[in-house]
Amino acid sequence: MTAHARSRQGRRGLAALVCGALAAGGLAAAGASALEPGSARASSHREAPLISGQPQYDNTDVYAFVSPDKPDTTTLVANWTPFEEPAGGPNFYPFPEDAQYDIHIDSDGDAQGDLLYRWTFDSKVKNGNTFLYNTGQVTSLDDPDLNFTQTYDIDLLKLKDQKVVSTKKLANDLPVAPSRVGDASMPDYKKLRDQAVRKVAGGGTSYVGQADDPFFLDLQVFDSLYGGDLSQVGDDTLKGYSVNSVALQVPTAEIRQSEKQPTVGVWSTTQRKNAKGGYTQVSRLGNPLVNELVVPLKDKDKFNASSPWNDADFLPYVQKPELPKLLEKVYGIKAPAEPRKDLVSVFLTGVKDLNQPPNVRPAEALRLNTSIKPSADPKRLGVLDGDTAGFPNGRRLADDVVDIELQAVAGELVGAKNDLGDAVDANDRAFGKAFPYLALPTSPTHAPAAKGGGDNTSMRGALGGGSEVRAPSSDGSGGSDAVLIASAAAGAAGVLLVGLGLAWWRARRRGAGGVL
Amino acid sequence: MARISVRSAVAVVALALALTSGALVVGGGPGDDGAGRSTPAAVGPAAPLDGLRGGDLDRGVEALRTRLREQPKDFTSWATLGTAYVEQARTRGDPALYRAADRALDRSLELRPGYDAALAGRAAVAAARHDFRGALRHAEAALAENPYSERALATRIDALVELGRYGAASRAADEADERRPGVPVFTRYAYVRELRGDTASARRVLERALDGATAPGDVAYVATSLGQLAWRQGEYKAALRHCGAALRADSTYLPALECRARARAARGGTAAALAGLRDVVGRQPLPGPLVALGELYEAKGDLGRAREQYRLVDVWAALARANGVDPDLDTALAEADHGDRAEALRAARAEWERRRTVHTADALGWALHVNGRDEEALRYARRATATGFKEAAFRYHRGMIERAVGDEAAARGSLTSALRLNPGFSPVGAREAREALRSLGGDAS
Repeated sequence: MTAHARSRQGRRGLAALVCGALAAGGLAAAGASALEPGSARASSHREAPLISGQPQYDNTDVYAFVSPDKPDTTTLVANWTPFEEPAGGPNFYPFPEDAQYDIHIDSDGDAQGDLLYRWTFDSKVKNGNTFLYNTGQVTSLDDPDLNFTQTYDIDLLKLKDQKVVSTKKLANDLPVAPSRVGDASMPDYKKLRDQAVRKVAGGGTSYVGQADDPFFLDLQVFDSLYGGDLSQVGDDTLKGYSVNSVALQVPTAEIRQSEKQPTVGVWSTTQRKNAKGGYTQVSRLGNPLVNELVVPLKDKDKFNASSPWNDADFLPYVQKPELPKLLEKVYGIKAPAEPRKDLVSVFLTGVKDLNQPPNVRPAEALRLNTSIKPSADPKRLGVLDGDTAGFPNGRRLADDVVDIELQAVAGELVGAKNDLGDAVDANDRAFGKAFPYLALPTSPTHAPAAKGGGDNTSMRGALGGGSEVRAPSSDGSGGSDAVLIASAAAGAAGVLLVGLGLAWWRARRRGAGGVL
Repeated sequence: MARISVRSAVAVVALALALTSGALVVGGGPGDDGAGRSTPAAVGPAAPLDGLRGGDLDRGVEALRTRLREQPKDFTSWATLGTAYVEQARTRGDPALYRAADRALDRSLELRPGYDAALAGRAAVAAARHDFRGALRHAEAALAENPYSERALATRIDALVELGRYGAASRAADEADERRPGVPVFTRYAYVRELRGDTASARRVLERALDGATAPGDVAYVATSLGQLAWRQGEYKAALRHCGAALRADSTYLPALECRARARAARGGTAAALAGLRDVVGRQPLPGPLVALGELYEAKGDLGRAREQYRLVDVWAALARANGVDPDLDTALAEADHGDRAEALRAARAEWERRRTVHTADALGWALHVNGRDEEALRYARRATATGFKEAAFRYHRGMIERAVGDEAAARGSLTSALRLNPGFSPVGAREAREALRSLGGDAS
């Protein structure tokens, strides 16, 4: 209390004043803190949001593999909008209309994209008088009861020296498969998925829509790095969550340089329209976990904004990673000698005689040797287990990249045998045998029943899930919290590697801070 | 010291509530961990990425605290928690959370000196406490570490705006937009444009932000910003439409309720506006809506009820001072019009010395005027309107001061443009502006 205030008014006087004023003002239910000043409330000072939930610009994973059932084609998959809940709102997840989802192909290993597949999206509401996602049972993609629909275009841009030389429209206004909002609304979701698989120009096949998140891991494994209990691991943190996927199967001849040089580099980026009207790259992803595993905390946002051409900036982080020193401390696995050429191979150049193009310029990208036939007996540890059709030669949906990368970092490729891992070896849902291979999203009807009340609002007011709206879980326990933490960690990227600023998590969130 | 008085204030309020209606007191004093607990009125969608809605934020905070009990060395979660507390303080109007934010951010920086997310969090806390120089310093420290830090970029714009450095704020907004487009940056970018009189750009950018917003908290905030922008331009139908959209996303969002009530009042829907504002001040008796409610009563001739609201503003100001906080500009303006004029001038002058913005210039000009110092007042009133910011209250204040110094032609121009821009800017102010115009021989229709 300032002397000034005290001289003006004793506490008792103040109390009387407050009581009198409140009683007179007839204030019914002001919280105690409501009358505690000190928060900035000036009309001049706008306290705008700092934490914003914008997952649709969040690229989580990219996959590239020779199609197991069509070996002359390559399948590209990239996912956005992590943690789509089956039992919780908003229970549908639109693709953004103000973004470009890109997958880049470098056919000759010079760290510059030669081809760029670009997805863009449009939304339509059939009945503007209702905010319902669907107004009745949806039995087909063109069902009039599907009130909110989206379409997409795919453009193929050919580039030379990072300049566009030609643009070709591969897909025009094709339907996006809807979010799965429950069995009552969508009794046969598989049918909707199948209807959304379309042929595109140039001999390719496309799917865009919701899918079960193919990534699997137990985040807790990383807590062991600072004394967590390892006996707890083995639960797929992402179980039951879906993502928004774009999947495209293209003739391999279209993307590789030649039969003699069949290795392609693959990465995805997300551009978002900014206030000025231009586009800003807000996300970049090649190998899983690189931005978390290798790039120091302060540079994670910079990495998302950067392009492979400039990856020399990040080379020292790969050559002299912090993580092995930590693993040595925690697990007693001796850190291999530096510089780590083995990790440069895995993350930047491809592995010699496997997926390294000639005269490669080091750059962070998935590298897929398209001439290696799909494996009849795929191993989750891929190359580490002798299965050269798997990660780090490209990346298949079922590749256990957490274990592979942990083991590689600990020196598996330079003779330091180890079996580090998170005890989650497979996705909770089986992958398909044919394109798009992704598992169907979990139906809210089969999701664990949610508790608590909710008012099921969602974007633009309340485009709820029609008859299927469910109350989100509000008890703050169980899986969702794991995810909350995961997502907080994701952005902040450091849970795992205290003091190092490396994170064992994926590109869930850009940059520092978290997701709440 | 401050703590004791806060406690007593809390106790007093609790007692007052018990006396009035036995309403449930939520919030309470900060516990050991510094976080006030509350029961969210309505739990919103549980998607972990929904950042701003009370329920989700509360869940997120709980989850982070649970995690930090298990992993107390997790400096990233400490930084996230600190920032989440700032966000909670914003959505709940509970400044006790700033102390909790301080502790969480300190912890993060102890574990990881120089960590940019924690520095950005410190910037946010400083801005929330009106320490805009500190906010700028922390934001710049965070950006030195990580030039792409979204929160530091956003808070840097806030700080420059509040320090009245509009040119630098505009450049910072452009840079932020190029690096991290998104709701936090868009909302600030729009405001910087609006302050320079470019309402068209402000609207366009907010609409872009709304198109990309999915989290209910984001939708509520952005739609309300659009509603307030429309209201300031006298576009009440558009304001109601935007506030309706905000309330569909979050039916309890106070700024949207307030904006809707003001728009209704401006269209003559006094009964609905009164009900709306009573609802707002019943939840959070802040000076802005209290004055709006008081003026509505006053305009319809119910002076007794009007005075009750103005007294609550006095209470607010007294409580603030008792806590060593200078009441904000809303409070200074309210006191200038309806309370302790000398105190209003003291507060406005102190604020002007701290930061020279269009808002502090307006408040100081008006406080000088009500204290009879019109010649001096005019300088500040001119300064307040110099950037082109389209704000009817500034024009009204300037017009009244021009009239007081005898510049009738200028007064007619200012008052006419205030009423033309936003005739519903203030029930009492608009009435006085019309009377003044009539006395000046202007057209006050």
